[in-house]
Amino acid sequence: MRVGTGTRITLRVLALGYLFVLVAVPIGVILWRAFEPGLATFIASISTPAAISALNLSLLIVAIVVPLNVVFGVVTALALVRGRFRGRGLLQAVVDLPFAVSPIVVGVSLIMLWGVNGWFGAIDRAGFQVIFGLPGMVLATIFVTLPFVVREVEPVLHEIGTEQEQAASTLGADRWQTFWRITLPAIRWGLTYGVVLTVARALGEFGAVIMVSSGFPGVSQTLTLLVHARYIDDHNTYGAYAAATLLMGIALLVLLLMTLLDRKRSDR
Amino acid sequence: MITVTAARKHYGSFLALDDVDIDIPSGSLTALLGPSGSGKSTLLRAIAGLEGLDGGTVTIDGRDVTAEPPQRRGIGFVFQHYAAFKHMTVRDNVAFGLTIRKRPKAEIAKKVDDLLEIVGLDGFQHRYPAQLSGGQRQRMALARALAVDPQVLLLDEPFGALDAKVRTDLRQWLRRLHDEVHVTTVLVTHDQEEALDVADRIAVLNHGRIEQVGDPVTLYERPANDFVMGFLGSVASLGGQLVRPHDIVLERDHAAALALDAKVADSPGVITATVERVVPLGFEVRVDLRADSGERFAAQITRRDAAELGLREGETIHARATSRSTVVDHDPALAI
Repeated sequence: MRVGTGTRITLRVLALGYLFVLVAVPIGVILWRAFEPGLATFIASISTPAAISALNLSLLIVAIVVPLNVVFGVVTALALVRGRFRGRGLLQAVVDLPFAVSPIVVGVSLIMLWGVNGWFGAIDRAGFQVIFGLPGMVLATIFVTLPFVVREVEPVLHEIGTEQEQAASTLGADRWQTFWRITLPAIRWGLTYGVVLTVARALGEFGAVIMVSSGFPGVSQTLTLLVHARYIDDHNTYGAYAAATLLMGIALLVLLLMTLLDRKRSDR
Repeated sequence: MITVTAARKHYGSFLALDDVDIDIPSGSLTALLGPSGSGKSTLLRAIAGLEGLDGGTVTIDGRDVTAEPPQRRGIGFVFQHYAAFKHMTVRDNVAFGLTIRKRPKAEIAKKVDDLLEIVGLDGFQHRYPAQLSGGQRQRMALARALAVDPQVLLLDEPFGALDAKVRTDLRQWLRRLHDEVHVTTVLVTHDQEEALDVADRIAVLNHGRIEQVGDPVTLYERPANDFVMGFLGSVASLGGQLVRPHDIVLERDHAAALALDAKVADSPGVITATVERVVPLGFEVRVDLRADSGERFAAQITRRDAAELGLREGETIHARATSRSTVVDHDPALAI
């Protein structure tokens, strides 16, 4: 389709304007507000004990969730692509469920399951606190991030097919060697992207986590909960901006790392 | 020596291998030839262990490998679409089998360099498969398969994805390589020209069964049935019998044709036909004919004979088979 110069320019302006108003402006405002009183104030605000504890908790959740998602995501993707079993269609639908279900619903259902009066309440009563503790927040985060690795790895597995793996087996590799030397390297970019998305979502998850966290500053507040608490409960607007900026900074770092890895790949 | 006994394989209700028995002698280059769906690839993959059998056994050099996985069968396998390890260099691809076997580094390096020289990829050690042409990738795959010193080399339509020129070059090259290396080789192909060109034995498969096994000349000259005849070269149907188009003689004089034909045993007789088209094909001329019965067939005659006959479209001519011709009774059940 040929597009006239006038139309082309209009389209560009529209697209850029849309992005600017909806994405750049809100982020810019937060950055401006966070750094407006100076760097020292910003650093002071993000290094209070509550902020450091929140950062640690968020990173801890990421550190637990990512390996679990990698292992189960790859296994599930393999089962979905290679498996020929009854209920594969059902599994496909279940994997997408976290995209469809509102995070707040996840929080509620977790309480129903694991809370003191829930189905698995015995565990809580025995002294292992799931809800209002770290296990609850991890469970909530796993639920909302579950599809990312599966959905990123699956198409790559489809694309590479099984011939390379068959070739490896004719060359003497057993299943395990084939997986490490052929399958894993072939899916690593899909996997990396899945991990980046998981990290970003795990850091930013709010709805599911707020339901299952006791929300004590310095104990069970993640960074997102800290932003919320500072803004709503403490009316500490500046503190909220600073914490939000920190949150964005980490996400940006992950994205940057991803881009660097990607560039390293295309250099070859 | 590879021995396959009573091999059976179903895919759902489709019978891919129907009690196949075949012996492949050591050091031979055998082609499994057949149309798609004939079971030739399934048979090859069953020998490799990439496909399990529903029944039957596979032995390689006297060892029953039916229950062994591919990695313990002592085979090398080359795939139609190369199956190159995309994230590895050419050197690492070829070295893969040796690395898995934990051979000393120096030994691996030497062997890989030697093989790359044999397949004509010297200097490509540090390239990635994406930087190679199709023909180069397939030669790399061959080097990779040969690196582990396989007892048998199995090739599944190895030149099928390449263009015509490269395909011809590569199969000549494979023939020479086989003459040097002497590894028992099985090649799957649907291309009769390729089978006749490289193989010293051909097994023709159809509907999961082996129709005939033999050397190329036997198969061409004494086909067991009209399927084999039709698959190895072109055929013309002359009075209900199949003959090669180049075994048809055209005569203007009906009496002369009859007299000559009387000397030919099991001749289909003299057929009177109308010339529909005369197509020069370089050295030969193809004459498209329509018999009085309405049956269409083609004869292939030399340029000189065509010139002597001076054939024109619409003329009537008498066709008969030559005295040495290959004739097979037509069985509609076996038709392609």
